[in-house]
Amino acid sequence: MLLKRVVAREGERVEFRDGKLFVDGKEIEEPYVRYPCDWNLPPRQVEKDSIYVVGDNRGMPIENHHFGQASKSRVVGGPLW
Amino acid sequence: MVRKRYLFIGMLMVILGIVIAITVFPSEEKRVKRRFHLLSEWVSKSPEENAFTLLQKMRDIGSLFDEHCELKTDYPSLSGSYTREEISTYVGSARSQVSRLSLKFYDLQIVFPEKEVAKVTLTARLTGRSTAGEQMDETRELECLLKKIEKKWLFSQIDVVEVLKK
Repeated sequence: MLLKRVVAREGERVEFRDGKLFVDGKEIEEPYVRYPCDWNLPPRQVEKDSIYVVGDNRGMPIENHHFGQASKSRVVGGPLW
Repeated sequence: MVRKRYLFIGMLMVILGIVIAITVFPSEEKRVKRRFHLLSEWVSKSPEENAFTLLQKMRDIGSLFDEHCELKTDYPSLSGSYTREEISTYVGSARSQVSRLSLKFYDLQIVFPEKEVAKVTLTARLTGRSTAGEQMDETRELECLLKKIEKKWLFSQIDVVEVLKK
């Protein structure tokens, strides 16, 4: 079971520039990200019936972090708070 | 009174028979689960493991696999077809580089798409420590295909499912 934050929905374009998250070209404010992040990820479109998820721990190298798009059918619940 | 006693003994024998049948002849699902249990036991390693156990496990691991087992992963260098002997050798080599290793399987979903074929979807978690002291903790979703050959369920294909696509 993975606990991740949904940052983009189907059809949206997601990318990272110098650690900043952009969805459809717009920078997203992420106060929950506590550690410095230097990720770069070229833009990609979220596929049909999928969501794009990323964890809040962005202090680790991008290649070691499990994130990306997954089928909506895999979602089993949301946090209670 | 005598009739009641015979009836009671008869019922007892039927119940005993059912219990023995379930124990001696486990369902196919239980047989498949047993193969995963053995794989977990034989891949795992404790720091106290002696050379005899090490050799025995290396020999036994190969017996869980089909003559050729197909592995599909995101890493092209790892994907391919492996023989039993190759699997034993690779697992043995990997085990020699760790002081502690634990392989556990969770949430096994077993279906039988055709006769003598079992498809199992599960979560595998590999944890341990290398001899250099490096910690490892990997969790992957797997799709395994087992074939029943000479009354034994053998791993014939293992797919590492890409849950998150960057």
